[in-house]
Amino acid sequence: MDAKKIMVIDDENIVGKMIKATFERDGYVVEKFLNAKPALERLREQKFDVVITDLKMRDVDGMEVLKIVKKEFPATKVIMITAFANMDTSVEAFRKKADDFFPKPVKISDLKARIKGLLEGEERPA
Amino acid sequence: MKLVYKIILANTLGIIIIILISVFSYHEFNMLKAKLSFVEIADTLNASFLKMRLAEKNYFLYKDVSSLQLIKAEIRRSKDMTGGMKRKIIVAVGHENFTGLVRRLDHYAEEIDKIGTSDKIGISGQDIKNRQLSVREAGRDLKLFSGSMVRLERKKVNGIISASLDGLLYFFSLAILVAIMGTYLFFSNMFRNLSRIERATNSISKGNFNKIAEWKMPNNELGSVMRAINSMCDELQTRHEKLIQSRKLASIGILTAGVAHELGNPLNNISMVAQTFLELYDDLPDEERLEYMETVLQECGRIKDIVKNLLDFSKPKDTEFRVLDINAIIKKTLKLVRNMINVAGIKTELDLQEKLPEVFIDEDKIQGVLVNLINNAIQAMSAKGTLFIRTIRQEKEDKVIIEIEDTGKGIPPEFLSNIFDPFFSTKGTEGTGLGLSISYGIIKRHNGKIRVKSKVGVGTTFIIELPVYISKEEGDGCEEDHGD
Repeated sequence: MDAKKIMVIDDENIVGKMIKATFERDGYVVEKFLNAKPALERLREQKFDVVITDLKMRDVDGMEVLKIVKKEFPATKVIMITAFANMDTSVEAFRKKADDFFPKPVKISDLKARIKGLLEGEERPA
Repeated sequence: MKLVYKIILANTLGIIIIILISVFSYHEFNMLKAKLSFVEIADTLNASFLKMRLAEKNYFLYKDVSSLQLIKAEIRRSKDMTGGMKRKIIVAVGHENFTGLVRRLDHYAEEIDKIGTSDKIGISGQDIKNRQLSVREAGRDLKLFSGSMVRLERKKVNGIISASLDGLLYFFSLAILVAIMGTYLFFSNMFRNLSRIERATNSISKGNFNKIAEWKMPNNELGSVMRAINSMCDELQTRHEKLIQSRKLASIGILTAGVAHELGNPLNNISMVAQTFLELYDDLPDEERLEYMETVLQECGRIKDIVKNLLDFSKPKDTEFRVLDINAIIKKTLKLVRNMINVAGIKTELDLQEKLPEVFIDEDKIQGVLVNLINNAIQAMSAKGTLFIRTIRQEKEDKVIIEIEDTGKGIPPEFLSNIFDPFFSTKGTEGTGLGLSISYGIIKRHNGKIRVKSKVGVGTTFIIELPVYISKEEGDGCEEDHGD
């Protein structure tokens, strides 16, 4: 079975770097991007199973990324992570069909468990 | 000197002058009255003497004995009058003249008596002639003396009237002089102090709480008013500072939301590095472990900077004017509000002119003004708006211009003239209406100007003008202009 592909979009380099380091050890293939535009271009070339995206980014908003991914690649799971977490943004994210929403600081083990569940066909939380 | 003493002194001086004028006039009028009453007596006496002389002539020409009787009767009348009016005559002409008159009248009476007796005894014609001659001489002497006295007294009356008029003129001149000098001496200081008070209160109404210098205060009631104004200035200044501080705290409330979010990123980074570090610990080579720890330290540094910025802004500081680069302050302020801008999803475009001359400003206060204006701009714009910040040097007037422009909803023209008034707000319950009025006061105290341009639906631009700092070597120094 092919390794599952994860894309991380976050303008904080450390986020992508750490997710890449921990997830690759578990056999995932991880690609990290600091900006949304090149990430979306890459998505159109390569199918990814999971996209982890930050909410506030310099070029394209995380909500916009979510909308595009869910429109163009409905099978791809999207997890939003953000330091700007509040009730409004999380409700908006779920309304736009995000598969999960993690406020920063993110617990990597939770993220792993959630991604594993999602890939095994778990429904997104209600 | 206390005002109440000055007023008492001025009134006393006035009263003294009035008393002096009254005493002088009383004395002069009394003198005049005595002289006039003598002239009246002298006129009666003169008339009597004239009658005597006429009768004397008749007697010598027609030997009319009744004429002699008439003369004697007139002599008696005149003697009665001089005796009865002795005191009045002496007061008017003096004792010497009085005795001169009485002596001449007595002499005339003696000569008349002699002439009367010479007829009866029958003396030689030559003796009679001699006696007639003596009578005539004595009569002429009496008439001349009394006539000259009357003329002299009339002259004296005229003299008294002129002297009285002159005296009154002198007194009035003195009164006017004293009034002018007294007003100047007593009240010029008072008027000066009153205009000082007027200037101070006008300046307070314009929001400048400049105190009246202690050494300029008189030691009287106006001094007390000045001291009261100064203590009011202190109180207003303190309240104003508190107002600025409370406004700043309100800004901090907004800033804190941004800061909390900004803290989220480095905290998340530290957390992720630590989790990865623990998870991969056994597999990580030493250099990577070190790299991880260095990353943690770097992120801690980021947090420290954010917290320091916030503390710097929120800490109340004394007014401290320094020569500073406005571009650096704008960049510093933007760091502080970066998250506010990020949260609102607003773009910023900076166009800061290079090599701007320095300005003499209170950094803390100017930063407060900038945060306030940026905050207003953010609130006026929806997401995807753009905030333009420009600095320009205006060489003609030696000014540095800061423009803060938003692409927001704009301000309706009818509100533009009130926008800097205290408690005026277009934000309804969200705004206190104090931010812009405080900003206006701060810029004014920097000898600067703040104005606004706005078009509904297009955006608003706030324009701040600050004078360029001119060092003492170059010019007359800005410190005096700016000093509080």
